[in-house]
Amino acid sequence: MATATNPDSSATSTFTSKDFKSDLKPIWCPGCGDFGVLQAIYRALAAIGRPPHEIAFISGIGCSSRIPGYTTAYGFNSVHGRSLPIAQGLKLARPELLVLAAGGDGDGFSIGGGHVPHAIRRNDDLTYIVMDNQTYGLTKGQLSPTSPKGQRTVTSAHGSLENPVNPLMYVLAYGASFVAQGTPADIPGLTAIIEEAIRFPGFAFVNVQSPCVTYGEENQQIKHHKAVMKKLESVGHDATSRIQALDKAQTYGTELLTGVFFRDPTPPPTLGALVRQRQEALMPNAAPRERILDLFVQR
Amino acid sequence: MSSTKGINFPTLSLKDALDLAILIEEEACERYQEFADQMEIHRTHEAAQFFRLMAGNEEKHRSELAARRVERFAAQPSSVTRSMIFDIEAPDYDEARAFMTERAALRAALRSEEKAYAFFVAALPQIKDDAVRALFEELRDEEVEHQELVRREIKKAPADPNLPDDDFGDEPVGQ
Repeated sequence: MATATNPDSSATSTFTSKDFKSDLKPIWCPGCGDFGVLQAIYRALAAIGRPPHEIAFISGIGCSSRIPGYTTAYGFNSVHGRSLPIAQGLKLARPELLVLAAGGDGDGFSIGGGHVPHAIRRNDDLTYIVMDNQTYGLTKGQLSPTSPKGQRTVTSAHGSLENPVNPLMYVLAYGASFVAQGTPADIPGLTAIIEEAIRFPGFAFVNVQSPCVTYGEENQQIKHHKAVMKKLESVGHDATSRIQALDKAQTYGTELLTGVFFRDPTPPPTLGALVRQRQEALMPNAAPRERILDLFVQR
Repeated sequence: MSSTKGINFPTLSLKDALDLAILIEEEACERYQEFADQMEIHRTHEAAQFFRLMAGNEEKHRSELAARRVERFAAQPSSVTRSMIFDIEAPDYDEARAFMTERAALRAALRSEEKAYAFFVAALPQIKDDAVRALFEELRDEEVEHQELVRREIKKAPADPNLPDDDFGDEPVGQ
Protein backbone atom coordinates (compact mmCIF):
# COMPACT_ATOMS: atom_id res chain seq x y z
CA MET A 1 0.00 0.00 0.00
CA ALA A 2 1.59 3.25 -1.15
CA THR A 3 1.21 6.41 0.88
CA ALA A 4 0.63 9.37 -1.38
CA THR A 5 -1.35 12.53 -1.68
CA ASN A 6 -4.28 11.50 -3.79
CA PRO A 7 -4.92 13.96 -6.61
CA ASP A 8 -8.57 12.87 -6.75
CA SER A 9 -9.12 14.14 -3.26
CA SER A 10 -8.39 17.09 -1.08
CA ALA A 11 -7.57 14.69 1.74
CA THR A 12 -4.46 12.57 2.04
CA SER A 13 -5.45 8.99 1.42
CA THR A 14 -3.32 5.97 2.18
CA PHE A 15 -5.63 3.69 0.20
CA THR A 16 -5.63 2.48 -3.37
CA SER A 17 -8.39 0.85 -5.41
CA LYS A 18 -6.88 -2.57 -4.66
CA ASP A 19 -7.66 -2.16 -0.96
CA PHE A 20 -11.37 -2.23 -1.77
CA LYS A 21 -11.32 -5.10 -4.26
CA SER A 22 -12.39 -8.44 -2.81
CA ASP A 23 -11.22 -11.88 -3.96
CA LEU A 24 -14.65 -12.68 -5.37
CA LYS A 25 -14.62 -12.44 -9.18
CA PRO A 26 -17.56 -10.59 -10.77
CA ILE A 27 -19.76 -12.88 -12.82
CA TRP A 28 -21.46 -10.15 -14.86
CA CYS A 29 -21.60 -10.67 -18.62
CA PRO A 30 -18.36 -9.49 -20.28
CA GLY A 31 -18.90 -5.92 -21.51
CA CYS A 32 -21.46 -5.13 -18.76
CA GLY A 33 -21.51 -1.50 -17.62
CA ASP A 34 -21.35 -2.58 -14.00
CA PHE A 35 -17.63 -3.42 -14.34
CA GLY A 36 -16.94 0.26 -14.94
CA VAL A 37 -19.22 1.32 -12.08
CA LEU A 38 -17.38 -1.03 -9.73
CA GLN A 39 -14.05 0.41 -10.88
CA ALA A 40 -15.36 3.95 -10.22
CA ILE A 41 -16.54 2.91 -6.74
CA TYR A 42 -13.10 1.43 -5.89
CA ARG A 43 -11.41 4.61 -7.03
CA ALA A 44 -13.85 6.89 -5.18
CA LEU A 45 -13.46 4.92 -1.96
CA ALA A 46 -9.67 5.08 -2.30
CA ALA A 47 -9.92 8.85 -2.68
CA ILE A 48 -12.22 9.15 0.35
CA GLY A 49 -9.55 7.39 2.39
CA ARG A 50 -11.60 5.52 4.97
CA PRO A 51 -10.63 1.92 5.71
CA PRO A 52 -12.90 -0.87 4.42
CA HIS A 53 -14.01 -1.81 7.94
CA GLU A 54 -15.56 1.64 8.36
CA ILE A 55 -17.69 1.26 5.23
CA ALA A 56 -20.90 -0.73 4.71
CA PHE A 57 -22.44 -1.48 1.34
CA ILE A 58 -26.11 -2.48 1.28
CA SER A 59 -27.83 -3.74 -1.86
CA GLY A 60 -31.08 -5.32 -2.97
CA ILE A 61 -31.38 -8.04 -5.60
CA GLY A 62 -30.26 -8.02 -9.21
CA CYS A 63 -27.08 -8.03 -11.29
CA SER A 64 -25.86 -4.72 -9.86
CA SER A 65 -26.83 -5.69 -6.32
CA ARG A 66 -23.95 -8.17 -6.34
CA ILE A 67 -21.63 -5.22 -5.87
CA PRO A 68 -21.13 -5.47 -2.06
CA GLY A 69 -19.55 -8.90 -2.52
CA TYR A 70 -16.95 -7.47 -4.84
CA THR A 71 -15.70 -4.97 -2.26
CA THR A 72 -13.78 -5.51 0.96
CA ALA A 73 -16.21 -3.25 2.86
CA TYR A 74 -18.91 -4.77 5.04
CA GLY A 75 -21.74 -5.79 2.75
CA PHE A 76 -25.30 -7.03 2.80
CA ASN A 77 -26.87 -8.33 -0.44
CA SER A 78 -30.33 -8.01 1.09
CA VAL A 79 -33.94 -8.38 -0.06
CA HIS A 80 -35.34 -7.14 -3.39
CA GLY A 81 -35.98 -3.39 -3.21
CA ARG A 82 -35.06 -3.10 0.47
CA SER A 83 -31.55 -1.70 0.36
CA LEU A 84 -32.66 1.74 1.53
CA PRO A 85 -34.60 0.80 4.69
CA ILE A 86 -31.76 -1.48 5.75
CA ALA A 87 -29.14 1.18 4.98
CA GLN A 88 -31.13 3.78 6.96
CA GLY A 89 -31.45 1.46 9.94
CA LEU A 90 -27.75 0.73 9.86
CA LYS A 91 -26.85 4.43 9.62
CA LEU A 92 -29.07 5.26 12.62
CA ALA A 93 -27.60 2.43 14.68
CA ARG A 94 -23.99 2.98 13.60
CA PRO A 95 -23.72 6.66 12.57
CA GLU A 96 -19.94 6.49 12.42
CA LEU A 97 -20.05 4.11 9.41
CA LEU A 98 -19.93 5.32 5.84
CA VAL A 99 -23.05 3.70 4.39
CA LEU A 100 -23.67 3.17 0.70
CA ALA A 101 -26.74 1.61 -0.88
CA ALA A 102 -26.78 0.21 -4.40
CA GLY A 103 -29.01 -1.64 -6.79
CA GLY A 104 -30.67 -1.56 -10.16
CA ASP A 105 -33.54 0.47 -11.59
CA GLY A 106 -36.03 -2.31 -10.93
CA ASP A 107 -34.81 -2.68 -7.37
CA GLY A 108 -34.92 1.07 -6.76
CA PHE A 109 -37.87 2.33 -8.76
CA SER A 110 -40.25 -0.61 -8.94
CA ILE A 111 -39.92 -3.12 -6.12
CA GLY A 112 -38.30 -0.59 -3.80
CA GLY A 113 -39.86 2.51 -5.32
CA GLY A 114 -41.89 3.26 -2.20
CA HIS A 115 -38.77 3.50 -0.05
CA VAL A 116 -37.03 6.18 -2.10
CA PRO A 117 -39.24 9.18 -1.09
CA HIS A 118 -38.94 8.25 2.58
CA ALA A 119 -35.18 7.95 2.43
CA ILE A 120 -35.14 11.39 0.79
CA ARG A 121 -37.45 13.09 3.31
CA ARG A 122 -35.59 11.53 6.26
CA ASN A 123 -32.32 12.72 4.74
CA ASP A 124 -29.94 10.35 6.44
CA ASP A 125 -26.33 10.60 5.40
CA LEU A 126 -26.35 7.88 2.72
CA THR A 127 -25.16 7.55 -0.85
CA TYR A 128 -27.56 5.66 -3.10
CA ILE A 129 -26.09 4.44 -6.39
CA VAL A 130 -28.58 3.10 -8.92
CA MET A 131 -27.19 1.15 -11.86
CA ASP A 132 -29.91 1.93 -14.33
CA ASN A 133 -29.70 -0.60 -17.18
CA GLN A 134 -33.35 -0.18 -18.19
CA THR A 135 -34.08 -3.90 -17.99
CA TYR A 136 -34.35 -6.79 -15.52
CA GLY A 137 -31.09 -8.40 -16.63
CA LEU A 138 -30.64 -11.09 -13.99
CA THR A 139 -34.05 -12.61 -14.77
CA LYS A 140 -33.30 -12.55 -18.51
CA GLY A 141 -34.47 -9.21 -19.83
CA GLN A 142 -37.99 -8.25 -18.81
CA LEU A 143 -39.41 -4.74 -19.02
CA SER A 144 -38.20 -2.59 -16.10
CA PRO A 145 -39.53 0.73 -14.75
CA THR A 146 -37.00 2.72 -16.77
CA SER A 147 -37.26 0.76 -20.05
CA PRO A 148 -37.92 3.23 -22.86
CA LYS A 149 -41.38 3.30 -24.44
CA GLY A 150 -41.39 0.99 -27.43
CA GLN A 151 -38.58 -1.26 -26.09
CA ARG A 152 -39.00 -4.88 -27.13
CA THR A 153 -38.32 -7.34 -24.36
CA VAL A 154 -39.47 -10.84 -23.48
CA THR A 155 -42.44 -9.24 -21.70
CA SER A 156 -43.12 -6.61 -24.38
CA ALA A 157 -42.71 -8.49 -27.65
CA HIS A 158 -44.36 -5.71 -29.69
CA GLY A 159 -42.72 -2.86 -27.76
CA SER A 160 -43.48 -1.33 -24.36
CA LEU A 161 -46.64 0.79 -24.16
CA GLU A 162 -45.60 2.38 -20.86
CA ASN A 163 -43.79 5.64 -20.21
CA PRO A 164 -40.59 5.04 -18.26
CA VAL A 165 -39.96 6.35 -14.76
CA ASN A 166 -37.53 9.27 -14.82
CA PRO A 167 -35.27 8.57 -11.80
CA LEU A 168 -33.81 12.09 -11.82
CA MET A 169 -37.20 13.84 -11.81
CA TYR A 170 -38.42 11.36 -9.19
CA VAL A 171 -35.75 12.15 -6.62
CA LEU A 172 -35.56 15.87 -7.42
CA ALA A 173 -39.32 16.25 -6.98
CA TYR A 174 -39.17 14.55 -3.57
CA GLY A 175 -36.53 17.04 -2.46
CA ALA A 176 -33.24 15.16 -2.67
CA SER A 177 -30.36 17.49 -1.84
CA PHE A 178 -27.77 15.86 -4.10
CA VAL A 179 -28.67 14.39 -7.48
CA ALA A 180 -26.19 13.32 -10.13
CA GLN A 181 -25.90 11.09 -13.17
CA GLY A 182 -22.95 9.27 -14.71
CA THR A 183 -22.04 6.54 -17.13
CA PRO A 184 -19.32 3.88 -17.19
CA ALA A 185 -18.38 5.31 -20.59
CA ASP A 186 -16.60 8.00 -18.52
CA ILE A 187 -15.17 6.19 -15.50
CA PRO A 188 -13.00 9.11 -14.28
CA GLY A 189 -16.07 11.38 -14.43
CA LEU A 190 -18.19 8.80 -12.65
CA THR A 191 -15.50 8.41 -9.97
CA ALA A 192 -15.58 12.15 -9.29
CA ILE A 193 -19.40 12.10 -9.05
CA ILE A 194 -19.45 9.16 -6.62
CA GLU A 195 -16.72 10.72 -4.49
CA GLU A 196 -18.67 13.98 -4.31
CA ALA A 197 -21.88 12.12 -3.47
CA ILE A 198 -20.14 10.28 -0.62
CA ARG A 199 -18.72 13.53 0.75
CA PHE A 200 -22.12 15.27 0.56
CA PRO A 201 -23.68 15.57 4.05
CA GLY A 202 -27.09 13.95 3.54
CA PHE A 203 -28.96 11.68 1.15
CA ALA A 204 -27.09 11.66 -2.16
CA PHE A 205 -28.47 10.00 -5.26
CA VAL A 206 -26.37 8.90 -8.23
CA ASN A 207 -28.09 7.48 -11.29
CA VAL A 208 -25.63 5.55 -13.43
CA GLN A 209 -26.79 4.62 -16.90
CA SER A 210 -25.05 1.27 -16.87
CA PRO A 211 -25.71 -0.65 -20.09
CA CYS A 212 -26.89 -4.24 -20.16
CA VAL A 213 -24.72 -5.81 -22.84
CA THR A 214 -26.95 -8.86 -23.16
CA TYR A 215 -30.50 -7.45 -23.25
CA GLY A 216 -29.94 -3.75 -23.99
CA GLU A 217 -30.48 -2.12 -27.37
CA GLU A 218 -27.60 -0.78 -29.44
CA ASN A 219 -28.39 2.82 -28.47
CA GLN A 220 -28.10 1.88 -24.79
CA GLN A 221 -24.53 0.58 -25.04
CA ILE A 222 -21.28 2.18 -23.87
CA LYS A 223 -20.16 2.84 -27.45
CA HIS A 224 -23.30 4.95 -27.93
CA HIS A 225 -22.80 6.68 -24.57
CA LYS A 226 -19.27 7.68 -25.61
CA ALA A 227 -20.69 9.30 -28.72
CA VAL A 228 -23.56 11.24 -27.14
CA MET A 229 -22.71 11.96 -23.49
CA LYS A 230 -22.43 15.59 -22.54
CA LYS A 231 -21.18 17.07 -19.27
CA LEU A 232 -23.65 19.36 -17.49
CA GLU A 233 -20.90 21.89 -16.84
CA SER A 234 -20.40 22.20 -20.61
CA VAL A 235 -24.00 23.34 -21.10
CA GLY A 236 -23.82 26.11 -18.50
CA HIS A 237 -25.83 24.30 -15.84
CA ASP A 238 -26.21 25.87 -12.39
CA ALA A 239 -26.19 22.92 -9.99
CA THR A 240 -27.42 25.08 -7.09
CA SER A 241 -30.81 25.58 -8.77
CA ARG A 242 -33.43 22.86 -8.30
CA ILE A 243 -35.54 24.44 -11.05
CA GLN A 244 -32.67 24.23 -13.53
CA ALA A 245 -32.00 20.68 -12.37
CA LEU A 246 -35.63 19.68 -12.97
CA ASP A 247 -35.46 21.27 -16.40
CA LYS A 248 -32.29 19.37 -17.36
CA ALA A 249 -33.61 16.15 -15.79
CA GLN A 250 -36.41 16.12 -18.36
CA THR A 251 -33.82 15.11 -20.95
CA TYR A 252 -33.56 11.65 -19.34
CA GLY A 253 -34.18 9.08 -22.06
CA THR A 254 -33.45 11.45 -24.93
CA GLU A 255 -30.04 12.90 -24.02
CA LEU A 256 -27.23 11.67 -21.81
CA LEU A 257 -26.24 14.52 -19.51
CA THR A 258 -23.63 13.65 -16.89
CA GLY A 259 -22.51 15.41 -13.73
CA VAL A 260 -24.24 16.97 -10.75
CA PHE A 261 -27.82 18.06 -11.51
CA PHE A 262 -28.47 19.47 -8.06
CA ARG A 263 -26.34 20.13 -5.02
CA ASP A 264 -28.16 21.98 -2.24
CA PRO A 265 -25.91 24.93 -1.30
CA THR A 266 -27.34 24.85 2.24
CA PRO A 267 -27.89 21.16 2.93
CA PRO A 268 -30.60 20.48 5.52
CA PRO A 269 -29.62 18.66 8.74
CA THR A 270 -29.44 14.90 8.46
CA LEU A 271 -31.77 12.62 10.37
CA GLY A 272 -28.83 11.39 12.43
CA ALA A 273 -27.95 14.95 13.44
CA LEU A 274 -31.57 15.70 14.41
CA VAL A 275 -31.81 12.50 16.44
CA ARG A 276 -28.63 13.33 18.32
CA GLN A 277 -29.89 16.89 18.92
CA ARG A 278 -33.18 15.52 20.30
CA GLN A 279 -31.37 13.04 22.52
CA GLU A 280 -29.19 15.80 23.94
CA ALA A 281 -32.22 18.07 24.52
CA LEU A 282 -34.16 15.36 26.34
CA MET A 283 -31.23 14.02 28.32
CA PRO A 284 -31.50 16.44 31.33
CA ASN A 285 -35.12 15.39 31.98
CA ALA A 286 -34.65 11.74 31.14
CA ALA A 287 -35.81 9.25 33.73
CA PRO A 288 -33.08 7.12 35.27
CA ARG A 289 -32.51 4.04 33.18
CA GLU A 290 -33.81 1.70 35.92
CA ARG A 291 -37.12 3.63 35.98
CA ILE A 292 -37.78 3.59 32.24
CA LEU A 293 -39.87 0.43 32.50
CA ASP A 294 -42.12 2.25 34.97
CA LEU A 295 -43.22 4.57 32.17
CA PHE A 296 -44.91 1.61 30.49
CA VAL A 297 -46.52 0.15 33.58
CA GLN A 298 -49.91 1.38 34.77
CA ARG A 299 -50.12 1.68 38.52
CA MET B 1 -11.15 5.94 -23.24
CA SER B 2 -7.85 6.84 -21.61
CA SER B 3 -7.21 9.88 -19.44
CA THR B 4 -4.78 11.34 -16.93
CA LYS B 5 -5.27 13.58 -13.94
CA GLY B 6 -2.80 15.75 -12.09
CA ILE B 7 0.30 14.82 -14.15
CA ASN B 8 2.51 17.78 -14.92
CA PHE B 9 4.42 16.49 -17.96
CA PRO B 10 6.82 19.47 -18.30
CA THR B 11 8.13 18.92 -14.76
CA LEU B 12 8.04 15.14 -14.78
CA SER B 13 11.27 13.66 -13.40
CA LEU B 14 12.80 10.42 -14.66
CA LYS B 15 11.85 8.69 -11.41
CA ASP B 16 8.20 9.76 -11.78
CA ALA B 17 8.20 8.88 -15.47
CA LEU B 18 9.45 5.38 -14.69
CA ASP B 19 6.84 5.04 -11.95
CA LEU B 20 4.16 6.20 -14.35
CA ALA B 21 5.25 3.64 -16.95
CA ILE B 22 5.21 0.92 -14.27
CA LEU B 23 1.66 1.92 -13.25
CA ILE B 24 0.51 1.87 -16.89
CA GLU B 25 1.81 -1.70 -17.33
CA GLU B 26 0.31 -2.72 -13.96
CA GLU B 27 -3.10 -1.36 -14.93
CA ALA B 28 -3.01 -3.17 -18.30
CA CYS B 29 -1.89 -6.41 -16.64
CA GLU B 30 -4.77 -6.27 -14.15
CA ARG B 31 -7.35 -5.52 -16.86
CA TYR B 32 -6.16 -8.43 -19.01
CA GLN B 33 -6.37 -10.67 -15.95
CA GLU B 34 -9.92 -9.43 -15.32
CA PHE B 35 -10.80 -10.12 -18.97
CA ALA B 36 -9.29 -13.61 -18.76
CA ASP B 37 -11.36 -14.29 -15.63
CA GLN B 38 -14.52 -13.01 -17.36
CA MET B 39 -13.86 -15.23 -20.37
CA GLU B 40 -13.26 -18.29 -18.20
CA ILE B 41 -16.50 -17.68 -16.27
CA HIS B 42 -18.36 -17.36 -19.58
CA ARG B 43 -16.75 -20.40 -21.24
CA THR B 44 -14.73 -18.44 -23.79
CA HIS B 45 -11.49 -20.34 -23.38
CA GLU B 46 -9.42 -19.27 -26.42
CA ALA B 47 -9.91 -15.59 -25.63
CA ALA B 48 -9.22 -16.31 -21.94
CA GLN B 49 -5.95 -17.95 -22.87
CA PHE B 50 -4.96 -15.00 -25.05
CA PHE B 51 -5.84 -12.41 -22.38
CA ARG B 52 -3.85 -14.42 -19.82
CA LEU B 53 -0.88 -14.30 -22.23
CA MET B 54 -1.29 -10.53 -22.61
CA ALA B 55 -1.41 -10.14 -18.80
CA GLY B 56 1.88 -12.06 -18.66
CA ASN B 57 3.44 -9.76 -21.27
CA GLU B 58 2.36 -6.64 -19.42
CA GLU B 59 3.70 -8.04 -16.16
CA LYS B 60 7.03 -8.79 -17.88
CA HIS B 61 7.23 -5.17 -19.10
CA ARG B 62 6.27 -3.92 -15.64
CA SER B 63 8.96 -5.95 -13.88
CA GLU B 64 11.62 -4.84 -16.39
CA LEU B 65 10.74 -1.20 -15.75
CA ALA B 66 10.58 -1.83 -12.00
CA ALA B 67 14.11 -3.28 -12.09
CA ARG B 68 15.37 -0.17 -13.90
CA ARG B 69 13.63 2.04 -11.36
CA VAL B 70 15.20 0.21 -8.40
CA GLU B 71 18.65 0.25 -10.01
CA ARG B 72 18.48 3.99 -10.61
CA PHE B 73 16.43 5.31 -7.71
CA ALA B 74 16.36 2.48 -5.16
CA ALA B 75 13.48 2.90 -2.70
CA GLN B 76 12.96 6.65 -3.10
CA PRO B 77 9.26 7.35 -2.53
CA SER B 78 6.98 7.70 -5.53
CA SER B 79 4.99 10.83 -6.20
CA VAL B 80 2.68 9.38 -8.83
CA THR B 81 -0.29 7.12 -8.09
CA ARG B 82 -2.71 4.89 -9.99
CA SER B 83 -5.44 7.50 -9.56
CA MET B 84 -3.47 9.77 -11.95
CA ILE B 85 -3.91 7.45 -14.90
CA PHE B 86 -6.87 5.72 -16.44
CA ASP B 87 -6.93 3.07 -19.16
CA ILE B 88 -3.72 4.19 -20.86
CA GLU B 89 -2.85 0.70 -22.10
CA ALA B 90 -5.66 -1.28 -20.48
CA PRO B 91 -8.44 -2.33 -22.86
CA ASP B 92 -11.77 -0.55 -22.27
CA TYR B 93 -14.27 -2.63 -20.28
CA ASP B 94 -16.70 -2.71 -23.20
CA GLU B 95 -14.14 -4.48 -25.41
CA ALA B 96 -14.97 -7.79 -23.74
CA ARG B 97 -17.79 -10.00 -25.04
CA ALA B 98 -18.87 -13.48 -24.10
CA PHE B 99 -17.84 -15.98 -26.78
CA MET B 100 -15.57 -13.43 -28.48
CA THR B 101 -13.28 -15.04 -31.01
CA GLU B 102 -9.51 -15.14 -30.75
CA ARG B 103 -9.41 -12.61 -33.57
CA ALA B 104 -11.77 -10.24 -31.71
CA ALA B 105 -9.59 -10.56 -28.60
CA LEU B 106 -6.50 -9.74 -30.67
CA ARG B 107 -8.28 -6.70 -32.13
CA ALA B 108 -9.11 -5.49 -28.61
CA ALA B 109 -5.44 -5.84 -27.69
CA LEU B 110 -4.41 -3.95 -30.84
CA ARG B 111 -6.69 -1.03 -29.95
CA SER B 112 -5.10 -0.95 -26.48
CA GLU B 113 -1.58 -0.84 -27.93
CA GLU B 114 -2.73 1.98 -30.22
CA LYS B 115 -4.14 3.86 -27.21
CA ALA B 116 -0.82 3.53 -25.37
CA TYR B 117 1.07 4.75 -28.44
CA ALA B 118 -1.27 7.75 -28.70
CA PHE B 119 -0.64 8.55 -25.02
CA PHE B 120 3.15 8.73 -25.48
CA VAL B 121 2.82 10.66 -28.75
CA ALA B 122 0.56 13.24 -27.06
CA ALA B 123 2.78 13.51 -23.97
CA LEU B 124 6.15 13.88 -25.77
CA PRO B 125 5.83 17.51 -26.95
CA GLN B 126 5.21 18.56 -23.33
CA ILE B 127 8.30 16.82 -21.93
CA LYS B 128 11.21 19.10 -21.01
CA ASP B 129 13.63 16.63 -19.41
CA ASP B 130 15.94 14.84 -21.90
CA ALA B 131 16.07 11.58 -19.96
CA VAL B 132 12.26 11.50 -19.67
CA ARG B 133 11.93 12.24 -23.37
CA ALA B 134 14.29 9.37 -24.20
CA LEU B 135 12.28 7.02 -21.99
CA PHE B 136 8.94 8.06 -23.51
CA GLU B 137 10.37 7.69 -27.04
CA GLU B 138 11.58 4.22 -26.15
CA LEU B 139 8.15 3.30 -24.75
CA ARG B 140 6.37 4.81 -27.76
CA ASP B 141 8.54 2.74 -30.13
CA GLU B 142 7.86 -0.39 -28.11
CA GLU B 143 4.14 0.18 -28.58
CA VAL B 144 4.74 0.20 -32.35
CA GLU B 145 6.55 -3.13 -32.06
CA HIS B 146 3.71 -4.56 -29.99
CA GLN B 147 1.17 -3.40 -32.57
CA GLU B 148 3.12 -5.14 -35.33
CA LEU B 149 3.31 -8.29 -33.27
CA VAL B 150 -0.46 -8.28 -32.68
CA ARG B 151 -1.18 -7.54 -36.36
CA ARG B 152 0.91 -10.57 -37.35
CA GLU B 153 -1.09 -12.71 -34.92
CA ILE B 154 -4.38 -11.35 -36.33
CA LYS B 155 -3.33 -12.51 -39.79
CA LYS B 156 -2.68 -16.01 -38.43
CA ALA B 157 -5.90 -16.19 -36.38
CA PRO B 158 -8.91 -18.12 -37.73
CA ALA B 159 -11.36 -15.97 -39.66
CA ASP B 160 -14.37 -14.53 -37.80
CA PRO B 161 -17.67 -16.34 -38.37
CA ASN B 162 -19.10 -13.03 -39.64
CA LEU B 163 -22.08 -13.06 -37.30
CA PRO B 164 -23.41 -10.00 -35.45
CA ASP B 165 -22.46 -9.43 -31.80
CA ASP B 166 -26.04 -10.25 -30.74
CA ASP B 167 -25.47 -13.87 -31.68
CA PHE B 168 -22.74 -14.09 -29.08
CA GLY B 169 -24.64 -12.77 -26.06
CA ASP B 170 -24.35 -14.86 -22.93
CA GLU B 171 -26.74 -14.75 -20.03
CA PRO B 172 -25.92 -13.90 -16.44
CA VAL B 173 -24.39 -16.86 -14.65
CA GLY B 174 -24.84 -18.01 -11.07
CA GLN B 175 -22.41 -17.40 -8.22
